Amino acid sequence: MSGTDTDDAGAEGSSTTGEGSSYAAQLSGISKRFGDVVANDDVNLDLERGSVHALLGENGSGKTTLMNVLYGLYEQDEGTVRVDGQVRDFDSPRDAIDAGVGMIHQHFQLVEPMTVLQNVILGTEPTRGGLVDEDAARADVEEICERYGFDVDEELDTPVRELDLGAQQHVEIVKSLYRGAEILVLDEPTAVLTPQEVDGLFEVMAELTASGRSLIFITHKLGEAMEAADEITVLRDGHAVGTVSANAASREELAELMVGREVLFDADDRTTEPGDPVLTIEDLQVIGDRGRPTVRGVDCQIREGEILGVAGVEGNGQSELAESIVGLRSVADGTVTYEGTDITDASRRSLIQDGIAYIPEDRQSEGLVLDYDLERNALLGNQTVEPFVRRGVVDWDAVGDHAESIVEEYDVEPHDTGAMAESLSGGNQQKFVVGREFEHDPRAIVAAHPTRGVDIGSIEFIHDRLREMRDEGLAVLLVSSKLEEIQQLSDRIAVMYEGEFVDVVDPGAVTEQDLGLLMTGNELDDGSEPDSGTTHGNGGDDQ
Amino acid sequence: MSSEDSERGSQSDDGERSTADVVSDAVYDNRWRLFGVVATLLGFVFVAALLTDVPLTKLVDIEFWLGLPYGDVFTVGFAERALQAAMPIALAAIGGLYAEKSGVFNIGLEGFMIFGAVNAAAVSWILAGGSASQLDLWIALVATVLLGLIYTAVFAVLTIRYKADQIVAGLAVWFLGLGFGPFTAVVMWGGVSSPPLSSLDTVTVPVLAEIPVLGRLLFDANPLLWVTIAIVLASYVVLYRTRYGYWIQAAGENPEALDTAGVSVRRVRYAAVMFSGAVAALAGGMLSIGIGNGFTGTGTTMVDGRGWIAIVAYLFGNYNPILTALASLLFGAAQMLRIQLGTIGVDLPSSLLEQFPYVTVIVVLTLVGATRVPSAVGESYESEE
Amino acid sequence: MSSTDTTPAASDDASGDGTDAGGDDSLGRRALARLVDASIFERLGIAVASTLLALLIGLVVVAAAGYDPVLFIDNMVYGIFGTYSVADLFGTNNRLAQTLRPTVTFIITGVAVAIAFRAGVFNIGVQGQFVVGGFAAAATIVSIAGSLPGGAAGGAMVIVVATIAAIAAGGLYAMLPGILKAYAGANEIITTIMLNFVASGVVFWLLDAYFRPGGTFFVRTERFPEHVSFPQPIFEGTSFSVVGLAIALLTAGLVFWIMERTRFGYDLVTSGHQADAASYSGVDAKRTIVATMTFSGMVAGLAGAVYVIMVLSYFSDPATLPTFGFDAIAVSLLAANNPLGVIPAGLLFGGLESGGNFVNQSSDVPRQLIDGVVGLVVLFVAAPELFRMAGKRMDVGGDEQ
Repeated sequence: MSGTDTDDAGAEGSSTTGEGSSYAAQLSGISKRFGDVVANDDVNLDLERGSVHALLGENGSGKTTLMNVLYGLYEQDEGTVRVDGQVRDFDSPRDAIDAGVGMIHQHFQLVEPMTVLQNVILGTEPTRGGLVDEDAARADVEEICERYGFDVDEELDTPVRELDLGAQQHVEIVKSLYRGAEILVLDEPTAVLTPQEVDGLFEVMAELTASGRSLIFITHKLGEAMEAADEITVLRDGHAVGTVSANAASREELAELMVGREVLFDADDRTTEPGDPVLTIEDLQVIGDRGRPTVRGVDCQIREGEILGVAGVEGNGQSELAESIVGLRSVADGTVTYEGTDITDASRRSLIQDGIAYIPEDRQSEGLVLDYDLERNALLGNQTVEPFVRRGVVDWDAVGDHAESIVEEYDVEPHDTGAMAESLSGGNQQKFVVGREFEHDPRAIVAAHPTRGVDIGSIEFIHDRLREMRDEGLAVLLVSSKLEEIQQLSDRIAVMYEGEFVDVVDPGAVTEQDLGLLMTGNELDDGSEPDSGTTHGNGGDDQ
Repeated sequence: MSSEDSERGSQSDDGERSTADVVSDAVYDNRWRLFGVVATLLGFVFVAALLTDVPLTKLVDIEFWLGLPYGDVFTVGFAERALQAAMPIALAAIGGLYAEKSGVFNIGLEGFMIFGAVNAAAVSWILAGGSASQLDLWIALVATVLLGLIYTAVFAVLTIRYKADQIVAGLAVWFLGLGFGPFTAVVMWGGVSSPPLSSLDTVTVPVLAEIPVLGRLLFDANPLLWVTIAIVLASYVVLYRTRYGYWIQAAGENPEALDTAGVSVRRVRYAAVMFSGAVAALAGGMLSIGIGNGFTGTGTTMVDGRGWIAIVAYLFGNYNPILTALASLLFGAAQMLRIQLGTIGVDLPSSLLEQFPYVTVIVVLTLVGATRVPSAVGESYESEE
Repeated sequence: MSSTDTTPAASDDASGDGTDAGGDDSLGRRALARLVDASIFERLGIAVASTLLALLIGLVVVAAAGYDPVLFIDNMVYGIFGTYSVADLFGTNNRLAQTLRPTVTFIITGVAVAIAFRAGVFNIGVQGQFVVGGFAAAATIVSIAGSLPGGAAGGAMVIVVATIAAIAAGGLYAMLPGILKAYAGANEIITTIMLNFVASGVVFWLLDAYFRPGGTFFVRTERFPEHVSFPQPIFEGTSFSVVGLAIALLTAGLVFWIMERTRFGYDLVTSGHQADAASYSGVDAKRTIVATMTFSGMVAGLAGAVYVIMVLSYFSDPATLPTFGFDAIAVSLLAANNPLGVIPAGLLFGGLESGGNFVNQSSDVPRQLIDGVVGLVVLFVAAPELFRMAGKRMDVGGDEQ
């Protein structure tokens, strides 16, 4: 461990420029808990000066928590943070900024209607005679842009809102540099970028390190980590499971570190064969919240007695796909057919009546009304279903009985239908939602992240129920970002990347590493998979 | 519309945009706003025609339109009255737009104006009874502004520190004004309205007042007109040219961005809300002793919805102080058109003509329903510690 | 930094790296959600504390303005009950009728506001809908009463037709801002306030142009015939009728039932609580906004009909009518937008109204004070955090948050 000896040297020389430490920042033994949940457990990370250090891990593995500790947003429970060799204890982002730490958040901290220049200088505006001296600022900002090859200097007077996300990200980086950041943390910077923009970002990152700045690059795409980073630390479930040099690592090795091997997927003893198609989706196109196409021509069929798993890194159009099928998001183009009927533009209510159940992605804002008790929640989505409602009048006794039976059969704790939904744990909330959706005799189920934030016991339970439903002949579309869940449950796996199904594979024929590669936009080495899914490189011709 | 479209497409050769381009862009961007005003006008013309037995066929007759006595309607006197009517609306609207830009929807403008009106009248009465000197009136106006600051400080503490619901608290301010305004009047004068009070004299600037039309409008005018114009211009400069303006915008759009830049969101919001109360109070004082002759407390008081119109004025003006002032001028003219039509003998029921500004407001609001409200308005902000 | 541990509810935060709440809710919804986000006891406590604090400040104002606060309280109490002894309450005194008369209107208009606020829609236009409804009822009565048979049966028939007209008029007048909000995004607070002014002006014009009996100076309709009125088994000759009170109570009860026991009510209330959950369950958000506004306006129109039939027996310049529609906002907020809670809140406001009137007559304390107190009640109800913090400081509020 060379870290300790350079450490002492750094402490001595840090009063000048910190050149004494070869590490720009060191996180040692960091632990951070939220209640009972351990987000970070004894994590070490040494950021070499002038390098890119990738923090690689799946969603929820604790990457952002760790960086929020470095940035002064969270206070660690254990461990120390050193910047330039000095132990630092940041109370707020302001302290971190003053110490030369900048963070590019996943959600940009930009004021959208204000211009690029105004955003960059916000809070540190140079003034002259009481007015903001934009000319002085402009010169400084242009110099920064020139040095690192940003092209936003062409757009300094454009409102940030009018820039695409890649350019907005450049503005964030320029803002940090303008404030004098030496260490830059980039939180999932590629999540919102097109492949071309990603290439541009990597060039910028190289420029930054060449000028002596140090970068932490948070990502869950291992290909990107390998391409852009010098060193890679892999986080899994709050633990740092390994740090490797990007040159020395192989994709397979990293995928294994990321996903872990402790879950062996149980052989699925299925009893039935898939039957006729229940849901047929043709060339489906959906526009996302930001006005960009997020589902870009998906074709698939979901048959009776089949679970079609949709794997993918979050934000590649899975949510929009699910919402458009269940009638919560309008379809831009293409058709959805359900049992022979075109339901492309059908209302949510009519789809509920037709028997399409939906386990929503966010049970707290959609699946449950938090300040209703479970009895009132049992009616949610059942407002047109007899016997709960007859001729517009609610039969609360029937609803109450129904709530009782859900609580009973789905083992919801507490066994009390008068309990407020918000008082339940995440797992019990989810069991209640799952129970309610399964209990009104659906013929198709769309399940979005059905076990997110749910305890192990409940996960098993929900998985068993999903299998039961499948065995009873239902068509199930399962969206999940958990690979093992997809592998354990699915009869076929569609891998979604950038709004398209890049491949549809047989879970028995692929390894987790293969899936990881497909999900991160890579192709499989051989062409053995059955489907003719569109391949997706980083080539420049796909739009 | 199509000609504007094509004009819009033609870019100037160099980077500089010509005035014509700027104007045509502005027209294009605000086409729905303009359309709304024109549509409302036409609607009223239609109703007017029905009520005055003018044959409807005349409405499509160019000759009829050309023959109307426009010169008698749009006189300098009309412009003068429209300016006066616009002043209080513009001031309150500037205040409202500052508060909302910073993230606090000050829906209590109407109430703060009522307080301003009654306070100004009361202070001038205390100072000199019914015969206040010009100096007394100015002192009363300054006192009104200071009182307005105190009232809004309370409102700001409730909405910012105690996270009161901004909408309900703003409505409460209105109710408070409707109650305590006339209450104060009864305590002071024994009735809900004051006796006639003196008001600010018109000031004539020598030489400049001789300029045709403009001279009479701008330099032979109530001095509060200059105060209003100064506040409008200053608030434009502050909002778009100073760091405080940047902070106000950031506080309303993305408080977190401002916070991470090391500026206290709370302080910015306090300042903006208190400014809004101060100018709303001045707007009220303007009604009772600046232009008018005393406080009227019957019905919805002499403020009579101007605070609400002010809100629409800044929405219509897209939060730009200068455009907001122009929108206020439009609403002021709408209020005064009635008198003007009376002078040329068009005898329309005044109770209907008085609805013109309100209906315009509804139509405008419907057509610009998509006005982008600062995204963090209504949310209390707590910085992460 | 507090040393206490984060609550278990925070456990979900750690698992999702970017689970921001979708900030799609409208301003009003968020605000209203916070208002109703309190336990029943807390709500009751806040309502009582707000009222007491407002009254206390009112007393301070009374004293500061140079009046005798003790005499003021004395006058208020007598003004509300007409007696100091419980035994005399239902005797031959008319003051209780003076209290119950405005109570009727407060309850019905309060219910109208509660409907909208419960669904997360800010209908500030109840006053205008009340005016339009009242006018529609009056216009109907003066138009048809002459051509129908007299007597109790004829009167009842006229009343029923007039009430239906009022409900329809109020509903339609509220539907307009509902449509503008749902399909054009026009802020309903401002459109409804503007429509209040417009209602007042247009009704005035209609009265002036078409309903003023020839030769009269005042802008008002002719008086309704004697038989078009509610029966008065008690409190005779007071312009208060128990029939009116019964209508108010039935309205509150019916709306409560609709909210609690029907699909429409469930959809409406769920939209107000959590718009995303409502959409998820198949509720069409836009249609619900229009339906909510219409329903709210129908009840406001009913309030107008009851008011003109029971109290006025004619219709006059709307600018001279009391501002029930605005006070109703305070009534509803005080009742936490619960239709049944509106009943005691309406009674309180009826008491304030008649007490204030009595104070105005028997002393020189202006009755506008009561309007100010109403404003204070609303102001304090808007800031529950104020009482929560005060409660914590006084260490009343237990050990949990």
